[in-house]
Amino acid sequence: MANHRCGSVSEEEPCCDISKKTKICLCVFFGLLVAVIIAVPVGILMWRHPLQEWKGKGTTAHFYEILLGRCYTYTQIVRPELGHKDCQKIGKAFTTAFLSKDPCSSTEQDYQPLLELTAQTVPCNKTLFWSKSSQLAHDYTRVQGDLFTLEDTLLGYMADGLKWCGDPRSSEMNYQSCPDWREDCSNNSFSVFWNAVSKRFAEDACGVVHVVLNGSISNTFDERSTFGRVEVFNLRPEKVHQLQAWVMHDVGGVHRPIRLLQCVKNPEPSSCRFYV
Amino acid sequence: MTARGLTPSLLLQLLVVAGAAGARWRGQGTTPHLQSIILGRCAEYDALVNPDPRGRNCTAIWEAFKVVLVKDPCSVLPSDYDRFIDLSRHSIPRDKSLFWENNHLLVTSYSENGLRFLPLCSVLYGRIGDFLSWCRQENASGLDYQSCPTSEDCENNAVDSFWKRASMQYARESSGVISVMLNGSEPSGAYPVKGFFADFEIPYLQKDKITRIEIWVMHEIGKPKVESCGEGTVKILEERLKKMGFQYSCINDHLPVKLLKCVDHSTHPDCVLNSAAASREIPPLWAEHGASHIVPFLVALASAVHM
Repeated sequence: MANHRCGSVSEEEPCCDISKKTKICLCVFFGLLVAVIIAVPVGILMWRHPLQEWKGKGTTAHFYEILLGRCYTYTQIVRPELGHKDCQKIGKAFTTAFLSKDPCSSTEQDYQPLLELTAQTVPCNKTLFWSKSSQLAHDYTRVQGDLFTLEDTLLGYMADGLKWCGDPRSSEMNYQSCPDWREDCSNNSFSVFWNAVSKRFAEDACGVVHVVLNGSISNTFDERSTFGRVEVFNLRPEKVHQLQAWVMHDVGGVHRPIRLLQCVKNPEPSSCRFYV
Repeated sequence: MTARGLTPSLLLQLLVVAGAAGARWRGQGTTPHLQSIILGRCAEYDALVNPDPRGRNCTAIWEAFKVVLVKDPCSVLPSDYDRFIDLSRHSIPRDKSLFWENNHLLVTSYSENGLRFLPLCSVLYGRIGDFLSWCRQENASGLDYQSCPTSEDCENNAVDSFWKRASMQYARESSGVISVMLNGSEPSGAYPVKGFFADFEIPYLQKDKITRIEIWVMHEIGKPKVESCGEGTVKILEERLKKMGFQYSCINDHLPVKLLKCVDHSTHPDCVLNSAAASREIPPLWAEHGASHIVPFLVALASAVHM
């Protein structure tokens, strides 16, 4: 018994015999070991997946939540006749189009599933195009609830004002930066999207279509604008029999309701007084 | 069984049964996908409209809102939204507050998404609830998607209590020149003596932060002018504000707002603009025969405009 007790006591003794210096060295060693065990995988991950750097602004914060919320708002409240649309599927189709892909090699095919899920009939005579007149055109459709700009359709409503891009070496969205059309590449996921939806919007138009143009700038009809480059060429002659162009100036223009709208912004000119 | 064969009492019984099988309450049921919509609106506000440098926690805001969804549909008080308001409140720029009664859509159009004015539905907590409906089921824990109580069903319903609480907050945070848009064609009077503005906004206006109050009495184009400044309920409002010590003014058919109303009635005689401008009007130009002719036409049009 005494031997055993002495034996167990003697096993404990090496601990008490280790000098303070050795203890400190051991602690530092184990600390470093733990740090290395954590740092190496993180370093490898970061080295393997650094995100590409571009000249344009990155993906909008909370992109997916905004997208989904807008889809539900549009299909449940704005146009309840589209209440059957599956927003979860639509959201997935949207992100699948650009996640894990090179943001400079985007194609319209990438967006095909999304376009199919968000197909929508715009009634004839209700399509309104715009070029360099975004504010005015949208102020007008906000008041004239039965006219549609692209941004008043489901997909346009969802994407309006947002920015997005992915990265081929990551499954995440790139919130840091996204390709700029001019300085990085023109076939970027953002521009390709708008070209594809604009094309479809024009293809679907029928009857009398309208366009709001800005007569106060030098390039009123800009052949390089989306309207000039994409929409005009995709109107279907067998469906569209008339195009009405409303050329609006900073003070006054052709179309009376829009002119009234301009007066709302600036009621000072005498031309904005009512005839008594 | 034809209607002829039904006795009055049997018919009444059938009607009662039919009523019970129908909606419990008078109001619209809970909006589907309420959580996604609210989270999305909050995220959008924070990312695009008015980012908070400290970062808003939309999940926490939703969690705070959610507490009313477990309460009995007729037992929700304005104070139940205190935590929600605490997390979602933000300052309102001076002179941008716009109060209103009986012209929700006009106010939304005129305020231009918060650019021109910031009505309650453009501040974060107002935006979150705008056009939505929500309530718990009466005898179960889930949400009621069929119907929700209105004030006619019971006073302490989730939606009304929300707007009462939101209105109080909005009024408290308003400063500078306060604008109020009233509907002078409303048969029951432009200023509802019992309403959100009267009961939950005016009492909470901070006199020391407000310079003056501007009342606009708008009339529907082509409809009768039931009340104007200094008349009927508008007079009651003016006297109340005077008694409270506010400086106020009243305008009939405030020009920029009337111009906006006229967009929908551009051919009405009341909406004809000054004749000097009317004579410069060019008839709308059009193109037929398909897309191949449109581009050269538009180019020609553009150059003609600048001649």
